[in-house]
This record gives sequence, structure tokens and C-alpha cells, in this order.
Amino acid sequence: MAVDLGQMAELLIAGKVDEVEKMTGQAIEEGMDPSDILQKGLIAGMDVVGQRFKACDMFIPEVLRSAKAMGAGMKQLRPMLVASGAKMAGTMVIGTVKGDLHDIGKNLVGMMFEGAGFQVVNLGIDLESQVFVDAVKEHKPELLGMSALLTTTMPKMGEVINALKEAGIRDQVKVMVGGAPVTEEFAKEIGADIYGANAASSVDKAKAVLNA
Amino acid sequence: MKSVMPDMQPMNQTVQETPVFEVLSEDQIEQIYFSALEVLERVGSRVHHDDALELFRNSGDAVVGDDKRVRVTTSLVERALKNYPRKITLKGRNGIRSVALQKDHVYFGTGSDLPFTYDRKTGERRRTTYKDIVDAGRIVDYLPNFDFFMSHGIVGDAPNPLTYDRHQFMAMLEGCTKPYVVTSVDGEGLEDLWKMACLFQGGEDEFRLNPMFVAYIEPISPLTNDRTAVEKLLFAAEKGIPAMYTPCPSSGATAPATIAGMLVQSLAETLLAIALCHLKRPGMPLIMGGVTTVMDMRTTTYSYGAPEMALASAANTDISKWLNLIMFSTGGCSDAKVLDEQAAIESTISNLTAFLSGANLVHDVGYIDSGVNASLESLVMNDEIIAMVRQVGKGIKTDEAHLALKVIDEVGPGGEFVTHDHTYEHWKEWFMPKLMDRSDWETWNAEGAKTMLDRVNEETQRILDTHEPAPIDDTIKKELKKIIDDADKRHSK
Ligand code: B12
Repeated sequence: MAVDLGQMAELLIAGKVDEVEKMTGQAIEEGMDPSDILQKGLIAGMDVVGQRFKACDMFIPEVLRSAKAMGAGMKQLRPMLVASGAKMAGTMVIGTVKGDLHDIGKNLVGMMFEGAGFQVVNLGIDLESQVFVDAVKEHKPELLGMSALLTTTMPKMGEVINALKEAGIRDQVKVMVGGAPVTEEFAKEIGADIYGANAASSVDKAKAVLNA
Repeated sequence: MKSVMPDMQPMNQTVQETPVFEVLSEDQIEQIYFSALEVLERVGSRVHHDDALELFRNSGDAVVGDDKRVRVTTSLVERALKNYPRKITLKGRNGIRSVALQKDHVYFGTGSDLPFTYDRKTGERRRTTYKDIVDAGRIVDYLPNFDFFMSHGIVGDAPNPLTYDRHQFMAMLEGCTKPYVVTSVDGEGLEDLWKMACLFQGGEDEFRLNPMFVAYIEPISPLTNDRTAVEKLLFAAEKGIPAMYTPCPSSGATAPATIAGMLVQSLAETLLAIALCHLKRPGMPLIMGGVTTVMDMRTTTYSYGAPEMALASAANTDISKWLNLIMFSTGGCSDAKVLDEQAAIESTISNLTAFLSGANLVHDVGYIDSGVNASLESLVMNDEIIAMVRQVGKGIKTDEAHLALKVIDEVGPGGEFVTHDHTYEHWKEWFMPKLMDRSDWETWNAEGAKTMLDRVNEETQRILDTHEPAPIDDTIKKELKKIIDDADKRHSK
């Protein structure tokens, strides 16, 4: 019996991580077109999640469970999508800058991007500039996310951007920054591409910039 | 007709003169406590500090894993718990021993490090500066219902992020003479702040007897202790500096989504510090803490206005009393972006709950925008709220004079009390509004139809225009500057 992608979308909306993972595997085994699985199963589900979240019919724990299901599905699909040259969301590298131990905000941002189909590499907290530079070289992400929750560590994000320039890789990646003391204005000042005030809105903002 | 009064002295009675407010029963506290011990035995807590790991290893009462997880015996925790002081008296730089931290004594104060401030002239949100902290200090110095001062804002214009804490403390000293709670960059920063304080107190021993400040230190929830936090804790233990180790979990994000679960986890985080400080120096003045709240599930905001914060904080205070520990709690704060009705409602609920629960140091009073924005006006508004809250806390006296049988008898049916001696004597026990308006419509209009916010603004301006704290002695000033300059030199590349 063929896998029902509509049902897959429903399970994803309901946050059934294991089931979505299993179903994606079955669909692949059955030889379904990976782009179809992605579009009609996973993304169809996440689109509804996004709408319901905006309408306050779904909340963060539900949304991030769905995002986790999306991530579990994508993990299996990604290699096939890459091989087929299909269009999909890219890779995001994210971390908290040197001297800063605030963790949870950037983790939630990472999960939200996973829900949007990105492959997310979470580097951790308290990171030297070089760690970001090396990660950009290694993972070749479309997006680099940096988090700073302290007035005193915010400038480190500018230092990372300068280090990217010095390494000659600044234009290979869009840089996105966020955290309580960070503002749109500050993001501009240090030459970041995107400022994200919270996990949900930063996904929309990033998509707009990447698709431009 | 004058009748003789009956004997008013009650026998075999509990006279309750203040409200009694508890949110946990003793059995519930025990359940939470035993669960926290279980967490320490089974899960442990990660400690990123070599000396601390060594202390645990050598204790014979802890197992240190390769992943730096420390699991601790109940025996160590319970021996440690017996050794903490139940009373700490703080002395301001004005020499007044004004804050006696002991069971059911409640003191209110600001929070720290707010990155932004609304400029009073332009109304624009901008970064907080040195001067803003001096001003916040002056306001707190003036307001009668504030007992201690945390920096309120952060010195965004400090020359170096590695030494900003010394400049911040200098601004606090300039603005306010009441006792402080200080945040510091690391152990070295705390050492400098302590040296600065000792200048006022005539040395280390005097500081230990009546400290001028309490050091604010935090673990990382869940169950993680970073190097700088432990460094500060060990330094505080060594020098006998009072310190709180205050978990800041958000239920549903960095702690379980149930309040009981969050209380268990944060108590385990506290008990780890209890054990560690005991190994370093038994009896150091450690204070229990907790900014325990929920993460808002629509916005991801760490909520400073949630009723769950007030409730969980009160629960923590119940636990602290049961453990015979002094409690550092939270109140008077809000998620509102500006000082508005929301700020007033949220501040009131948490102030009242914290007061009734009997928390000792209630901090973060005046925070708006979830701990991101500073507001001097919010301090002034909260002063009035706290005055009202304290009035509720005074409770009801039922001695002979207060039962007033004699007066009722004298006035009799159909009389008036306004001109009676008894009224003349007792009405001053009431709360006297400073900012609350109780006038009639006509008068209110004639006086400019001012709203609460108008009155708060005027009062804020009046204090800023008129109140200057006692100045700092010139020789001390020079020595303070030297400590700060030396730190800046050490840290300039
Ligand atoms: C919880 C907390 C902590 C916890 C962190 C635990 C953890 N596991 O992460 C602990 C206790 C460890 C902590 C420590 C400190 N903290 Co703290 N902390 C907070 C608090 C109360 C909430 C942060 C939080 O978790 N919010 C909830 C999460 C989900 O939201 P978020 O982090 O803001 O992230 C969202 C957005 O900002 C955005 N975002 C974040 N990063 C990124 C990145 C990208 C790329 C994008 C697009 C978006 C984005 O999206 C996220 C999700 O929606 C804030 C106050 C506040 N309102 O921010 C203070 C706060 C950030 N801390 C502060 C301070 C001062 C400290 C300390 C220095 C205190 C001290 N002296 O010891 C230490 C510093 C330790 C260090 N070196 O980092 C200050 C900073 C002030 C300043 N001007 O710099 C704040 C503002 C509170 C205050 N007023 O004092 N803190």
C-alpha cells in the first residue's frame, strides 16, 4: 500500500516524530519521488503548523515537536534531494559568541529552522571567532546565526564578521544575529544581513533574504 | 453612662497579628527536598571548575564523572545544611545596619544590568549608561520602601567589558548609600568589588561582620555550573562574602513544565552549591535564590510577569524557611514594554506574593520588558505598591486599644468618631497614599486631571531634581579610583 502523504502531513502537525520518521523511510523504500515526499508530506504539514502558530492555534511546544518531526524526515530525505538536485532549504550554522553562556534562545532558533527544512549545525556556547569561521568553511552553510544576550558580548558578533572577511568567505554566507540586547540598528552597524527578534519571525526574515 | 471594661488579656490563644501565607505544606516541601536529593545522587550536576571538582573528589562524599558530572551524597548535603547562618545583617555605606536578613524579614530592591533605558527627555529607547545607574541609585536612596540596590541598568559606556563591573559598582556607590547586591564579571571582578566595599567598612573583618553587599551568582539551568560562577562562589566562601546562588530556570524550556519539577531541579542546583561551599569553608554566608518562572509559549519570552513566577517564588521561600536558609526572591517586575497598566498589575501581584511569603531580599523591582528595559518611573510606582503591600502585611492588632470597645461605648449609637481622641491617635497607622488619587472628580479636574503615570513622572523628576545622597569621602574616592584604574590597566591589551 502506498504511503499516504496527506496522512504524513497530519502526523507531522500532531508532532508524531517517530511515526513521521518511519513513514518517510517507507515512502523512500517505495520509490516515491523525494521532492514529492518533501512538498506534499513534510512541507505541507509545516505550512499548516506555521499558519496555526500565527493564528495562536498552536504554541511553541507543539510547533517545535512538529519541527523535530520535520527534522527526522529531512535527515533521510536530504541525501536523495541533494543527489537529485532538487531545490530545498540549505544549511544553517548557529552558536553563541565568546564570553556568553546563554544557550536556550539560540537552541530554539535552531529548532525553528530545522522545522523550516534547514540542516542545522548547533556549535554551542562561548565560542571563539575562529570556531565560526572554521564551521563556515566546513559546512558551507547558507546561513550563519549568532546569538549574544549580553551588552558586553555583542561586539564579538562584529568580530566574527570581520574574521569571515579576513578569511575571504564573508560573501559566501548570510549572517543573522539576535539576542536580548541586539537591535536591527546594531545588526546593520556590524554588517550583519539579518536581525531576528525571536525564533519564529527570524525564519520568515531569513527566507525572504535567501530567496531574494 | 460609663461601664467598666472586661479584662481584655486573652489566655491560651494564638494571637495572629500578620497574615499567614504558605503555598506548600510541610509534606510537600519534604517531597520536593527528597526529590532534589535524589537528583543529586542519580543525575548529578556538571561543574566546569577544576578546584571545585578536586574538592568533591577529596570529600569522600561525591562521585565525579568523566563528563564533570558531580553526584553528591545526602550525608554531605545534610551536614552542609546545618552550617549556614540564619541571620546576616547588611550595613550600607552610610554606616546604618538597615537590612537584617532573618526569617520573615522582607526587604525590597532593584534588579541589575538592564541593557536599555527610556530616555526621560526624548522618550527614545537607548542603551543604559553610567549616569543612568547613578540616577537609579539616587531614586532608590530616596524611596523609603526600597532597602537595597542592585545596579538596575548596565554601564553600557564602560571602557572595557572585562572590567565593567567595577565601573558599575562605582556608579552604585555614588548614587546610593543603602546596602547592595552586586553582579560581577568573574572571581577577579568580585575581589575588586569586595576591596572597594572594604574601604568603607574598615577592613575585611568588619565586612564579614556586617557586609555591605551580597554577591549575585547563578548556575546555568539545567544542572550546570560554569567556571566563572564557581570561581565567584569559591572566592565568596573563602572571604566570607555573602552570596546567593540563584537558579534562573524557565519552566518548559530549561526546567520541567510543572512547577513542582522546576522546584525540584532548582533545589538540586542550590544544594550542589550548599555542598560545595561547605567543602570550601563551612558556614560561609550562602543565601538561597531562584528566579523561577515559565517561558511564554507564544513568544518564547522568559516571563517576569507570570503568576507562576510569583507562585513558584513563594514556594521557594517556603522551602528556604524549612531549610533554615535566607531567601533571595523576585517581585515588582513586568513583561510590559512601557510602564503601563500591565506593569502595575504584574508588579503588584509579585510584590504582594513575595511579601506575604516572607522572602528576605525581593529583587528585580522596577524591571519592565522582561528584564531588558530600565525605568526609573517604575521604581517610583513600585515604591507606592510596596507601601500598600506592607500595609496588608501589618495585619490586624486585637489588643484592648485596637478592639476599641471603650470608644464604641463612648460614642454610642448615632455618634461620630472623627473628633474622638482614639481616632486622633490611631488613624496614622493607616497607609497614607503618595501617588494614589482619592480626590473627587471636581478637584481632580481642577488639579490638572493627572493620571497615575503623570503623577509618577512628576515625582520621579522631583526626586532627580532634589535628592543628593551623602557624598563619598575624598580619600576613599581616590582609593576606589585606584582599584578601578588598576583593573583597567591589567585588562588593557
Ligand atoms: C535565563 C537567563 C540567564 C541564564 C541562561 C541559562 C540558559 N540555559 O541559557 C543564566 C542564569 C545562565 C544567565 C547568566 C547571566 N546573565 Co542572563 N539572562 C537570562 C534571562 C532572564 C532570560 C534569557 C532567556 O532564556 N530567554 C528566553 C529565550 C528563549 O529567549 P532569548 O534568549 O532572548 O532568545 C530569543 C531571541 O532573543 C532570539 N534570539 C536569540 N539568539 C538569537 C540568534 C539568532 C541568530 C536569531 C535570529 C535570534 C536569536 O530568538 C530567541 C528565541 O525566540 C535574560 C533576560 C532576558 N529577557 O533576556 C537575562 C539576561 C540576558 N542576563 C543578563 C546577565 C547580566 C547575565 C549575567 C552576566 C549575570 C551575572 N552577572 O552573572 C550572566 C552571564 C553569564 C554569561 N557569561 O553568559 C542580562 C544581560 C544584561 C546586559 N545588558 O548585558 C539579562 C538581560 C538580564 C538582566 N537584565 O540582568 N542568564
